[in-house]
Amino acid sequence: MTRNRFWKQLKKELPLWMEKGWVNPGADQAILEHVGRRGDSSKFLSFAFGILGVLLLGSGVITYFAANWGAMPKIVKLGLLFGGMWLAFAIAGYLLRDDKAPHLGQAGVLLGVILFGADIMLIAQIYHIDSHYPNGVLLWSLGGLAAAWLLRSQPALIGAISLAVLWTGMESFGFERQMHGWFFPLWLAFLPLIWRMRWKPALHVAMIGVLLWSFFGFESLRNPLFAVQVYFLAYLALFLFGLIMATYERLSYFALPVQRYSLLAALLSFYALTFPYLQVGYPFLHGSNMRPGVAKVWLAATLIFLALVAALALWHRQCFGRQKRPLWLLWGQVLVMAGLALIIVNLFIGVRYANLMAIGFNLLMFAGVVWLILAGSYLGDRFFVNSAFFFFALTIMSRYFDTFWTLMNRSFFFMAGGVLLIGGGIFLERQRRRFTGQIKSRRGERGDI
Amino acid sequence: MKIAARIVITCIVLTLPLVGMIVRKQWTLETGTAVLLETQPVDPRSLFRGDYVRLNYMISDLDLEKLGGDDKFDRFDDVYVALAKAEHYWEAIGVYHQQPQLAGQQVALKGKVKYVQTSRWNPETKKSEPVKSIHVTYGIENYFVPEGEGRELERPPAGSKVEMLITVDRFGQAGIKAVLVNGVERYREKLL
Repeated sequence: MTRNRFWKQLKKELPLWMEKGWVNPGADQAILEHVGRRGDSSKFLSFAFGILGVLLLGSGVITYFAANWGAMPKIVKLGLLFGGMWLAFAIAGYLLRDDKAPHLGQAGVLLGVILFGADIMLIAQIYHIDSHYPNGVLLWSLGGLAAAWLLRSQPALIGAISLAVLWTGMESFGFERQMHGWFFPLWLAFLPLIWRMRWKPALHVAMIGVLLWSFFGFESLRNPLFAVQVYFLAYLALFLFGLIMATYERLSYFALPVQRYSLLAALLSFYALTFPYLQVGYPFLHGSNMRPGVAKVWLAATLIFLALVAALALWHRQCFGRQKRPLWLLWGQVLVMAGLALIIVNLFIGVRYANLMAIGFNLLMFAGVVWLILAGSYLGDRFFVNSAFFFFALTIMSRYFDTFWTLMNRSFFFMAGGVLLIGGGIFLERQRRRFTGQIKSRRGERGDI
Repeated sequence: MKIAARIVITCIVLTLPLVGMIVRKQWTLETGTAVLLETQPVDPRSLFRGDYVRLNYMISDLDLEKLGGDDKFDRFDDVYVALAKAEHYWEAIGVYHQQPQLAGQQVALKGKVKYVQTSRWNPETKKSEPVKSIHVTYGIENYFVPEGEGRELERPPAGSKVEMLITVDRFGQAGIKAVLVNGVERYREKLL
């Protein structure tokens, strides 16, 4: 809900609350003023205009230099490049000092970082430096990170993360790196500042960045089956870590974004595993050698991430006492165990049973989606529920248009799934009534009602 | 720490790598061995950075069967190309994965394999023939010139010859020292 809508809703509700005695007479105006003040958008506007202005100014400065480049001696060019960057940071410092204009100051820091990037490119031009070009973007990203650390600047950090993603994209697509591992240590270097400063927007960009990175690596794989399994395990591990984060006071602030992005990525990976062609192999890619065996590197990675998932699951169990562990969580654990078992079996079977594995992954995908709806409704998290419905629809559509199985087989699959879901729904409704009945009777015994 | 101190440190931290870029290139130009290379200019213009000439050298395409050193390379491998002075230009005599031991009047230029060619179409026999050649880039393929002057270097008039005087330092890094047109120096690199 937007602030404006919230304010209007509040204005409508307050007379009733006063009537019921929940709010003292006269307090309604104070509440409305307080909420209205929070909605003051002038600060945001000055920041937004500042950032946009900086981007335009930065672009203008770069093209101005480019247009007049030939006429300037080298010393003047260098003076402009260094002087421009120093001036931007000096102005930023002036605006940040004593909180004079902190938002514009942050825009100044961003301008300094943009000019640092322009300086890298233009010095490369002046001195005819023509090396491995992604390195220039990496250097730019590191400069942004340094500025973010030193000046406590979230815009600079977001810029640095975006540049790091650009860098890994250039390495992955331009130089055919199957998994550009060097991105990961750089990505980790962004996290301490995010955690220390409690910068949620930067965390969102970092999470999107790591998802894009894994997608870049996936793109260049010829035989992605076992890589997708590793991806699923890695994102499942991250999701479990997100659940653990929620139980620690110092980390709980960041738990939700971590849970949501990792859940989305884990679901996407698991969804990929439901494709029978991925399990059996692509005739046009693998020819007669359908479903090549697991390479040592993917076997090792699978085992490492399995161990990590197991360790995190145990850690998560310890965070919840036995009596506190809700039913939906226990069911989730059963599903995760089933998924892990399927992944382990999938490492060692041949093409003969690949078809069965595809059926297994599909059944588990549907079960997982149902569990997600359940977990979402228990936690009151609409994101879980919406994601579940999205992946449910996506998987149904994929299977409907999948030509791997015959139409008759697909028909049986859908009918069996439908019966299971209806049966499951009735069972869940009974369970819900039983639980709510128990809660009511407990409250009655305590005299709560 | 006060904001002024933070600003000063930020400026220093961000200036150092930029100065490092200049120092590294200048060190190669000052300490390296001068090598004259024959070129084949190919390509015109960068939208972002004004004019530049994209250069293709005679040592860019290497026939492994005619050269010494190693004979198996993959795309994006780092390589060292041994150059020796011939009559006028320096020419490739071997390609190696590691920096080789060299005799006098030889240098090893570091490059990256851009692509590996295993077959070539012969228009006379109209058949594809097996070859073992690699295309290598050395970081001296771009030369920036003032706007409007690129075309002359890029497509010299008939009979004109563009040569590049480069320097190669002891690590195999190269830098363009001067551009010569018909043996006459047209551009020369200076620090400032």
